[in-house]
Amino acid sequence: MERFIDLSLSAIMLAGLYATMAYGLGLIYGVLRVVNLAHGGVIMAGAYLGWVLFERWGIDPYLALPLVIVASFGLGILMYRLLVRHLPRGPAGGPASLLLLFGTWLVLRNVAYLLFTGNDQSIRTSYSTASVPFLGTYVSVNRLAVLGVAVILPILLQLLLKKTYTGRAIRAVAQNADSCTLVGVDVERIYALTFGIGTALAGVAGLLSATIFSFNPGFGSGELLKSFVVVVLGGLGSILGVGLAAFILAVVEVFAILVLPSYLTSAVGFVMLVLVLVLRPGGLFGHRVLG
Amino acid sequence: MSEPLLQLDAIDVSYGDVQVLFGLSLEVREGEVVTLLGSNGAGKTTTLRAISGLRPPRAGEIRYRGRSLATIPAAARADLGISLVPEGRELWPQLTVRENLDLGAYGARARPHAARNLERVFAMFPRLAERSGQLAGSLSGGEQQMCAIGRALMSEPTLLMLDEPSLGLSPLLVDQVMNTISELHAGGMTILLVEQNLRKALQVAQRGTVIETGRVRLEGTSAELAANPEIRAAYLGI
Ligand SMILES: Nc1ncnc2c1ncn2[C@@H]1O[C@H](COP(=O)(O)OP(=O)(O)O)[C@@H](O)[C@H]1O
Ligand SMILES: [Mg+2]
Repeated sequence: MERFIDLSLSAIMLAGLYATMAYGLGLIYGVLRVVNLAHGGVIMAGAYLGWVLFERWGIDPYLALPLVIVASFGLGILMYRLLVRHLPRGPAGGPASLLLLFGTWLVLRNVAYLLFTGNDQSIRTSYSTASVPFLGTYVSVNRLAVLGVAVILPILLQLLLKKTYTGRAIRAVAQNADSCTLVGVDVERIYALTFGIGTALAGVAGLLSATIFSFNPGFGSGELLKSFVVVVLGGLGSILGVGLAAFILAVVEVFAILVLPSYLTSAVGFVMLVLVLVLRPGGLFGHRVLG
Repeated sequence: MSEPLLQLDAIDVSYGDVQVLFGLSLEVREGEVVTLLGSNGAGKTTTLRAISGLRPPRAGEIRYRGRSLATIPAAARADLGISLVPEGRELWPQLTVRENLDLGAYGARARPHAARNLERVFAMFPRLAERSGQLAGSLSGGEQQMCAIGRALMSEPTLLMLDEPSLGLSPLLVDQVMNTISELHAGGMTILLVEQNLRKALQVAQRGTVIETGRVRLEGTSAELAANPEIRAAYLGI
């Protein structure tokens, strides 16, 4: 029973993390029709930024959150202006944009090797090992904090998308860009902003991951693939779909530990991906775009 | 005579290598309803897209209140009072009716008056008020057309352009749309109306221009056009 509660809590926390990074990927795809293969690179960059801020400047990772958000948002804007803006969009532009964004990831990764070597790092705070009692077991304080951020951020984002003119414009651009231009929306600006928000979520996911897992410049590839699984499962429709899909993936992964040898558990997500693509190509929850 | 509100001066418009408009000229004066007529593929939609900035001309000039629009990006034209109800409505199907209307007031000039204009739109189309929480994609064709017109009105246009607003509507709804246009005109709005339904268009418009493969074929007052034997033969089937 204790083990069950333990695993459940792990699953919930992982789900929050997966949802955060997947939402960033899905938002960018939904609005720009570009698969951001550099997403994993930004996740890695977020982890290192948090680590540098903590190791060199002693800034607590949760206090560093705004800094990481601003920096990865800025990185996204830069990537958009320098690169993504010039890419062909949609199915026709697929290969070109995939290759260029994959190249961007390689650049980010190699810069990280140059700056930080390939050694494993992690962010170890004074409360990294602290835990509080919960339902007869103990929960890590840090994991609770990760979950808190991973729940609050998407909710804030959802409020932005639903309640503000800019957020509504983001959703509208995903559905019909010309109509947006006609009512006065600067569509290019919305694209840049959306790309920035998507990468900011990746950066946050990286920072949060760094407080739990160890990482090196290769970090982010598994995360990117998991983001794909979640987006395909949950669709681009709603934060709820993404959250549910992230939860399903996390639960399956975590509980697979009980029945599968450990070297197989990481394959679980991809088996799910293939199954969903074959059985329900529209995702488990339909494919409304940012409705 | 005062300067026209809108003036197209010999514009050429192309899609890639394919030229669609050839030296097209057109004028709309303040307070007028002008209709742009022509058979399918003549270039009516392209003309409206050129005016709204979605497909700027290769050559020639579009002037609005005497000023060239060449350097004004499409997204800035709503703030100048230019608004288009596009062919096929082009709503955001997965946003609610209310969200579609709200976004109509996105521009800096219109936004402060969004609440007032929303009331006006709802008064004009009570049906939209009833359906305000529904997804625009779930509306009937007529309701979608009302929503598209409502969205355009949310920007408080000076020049309202409508591209085949009666397309696919039942005769009853066509009349309703035409009445709406007359009402807006009576309220002082300047209107450029593209229609296939020539008879109806000439009833609400004061003047008309007939284009054929991207060139002006005929121009005149509605009465003149309605009496023109060529038009009667080609479009009115008389
Ligand atoms: N996006 C496009 N790409 C290429 N050709 C187009 C495009 N849109 C319209 N055309 C062509 O331009 C011509 C005029 O089209 P359009 O302006 O839509 O005519 P109308 O609205 O009068 O029916 C047609 O021959 C049409 O095939
Ligand atoms: Mg047309």
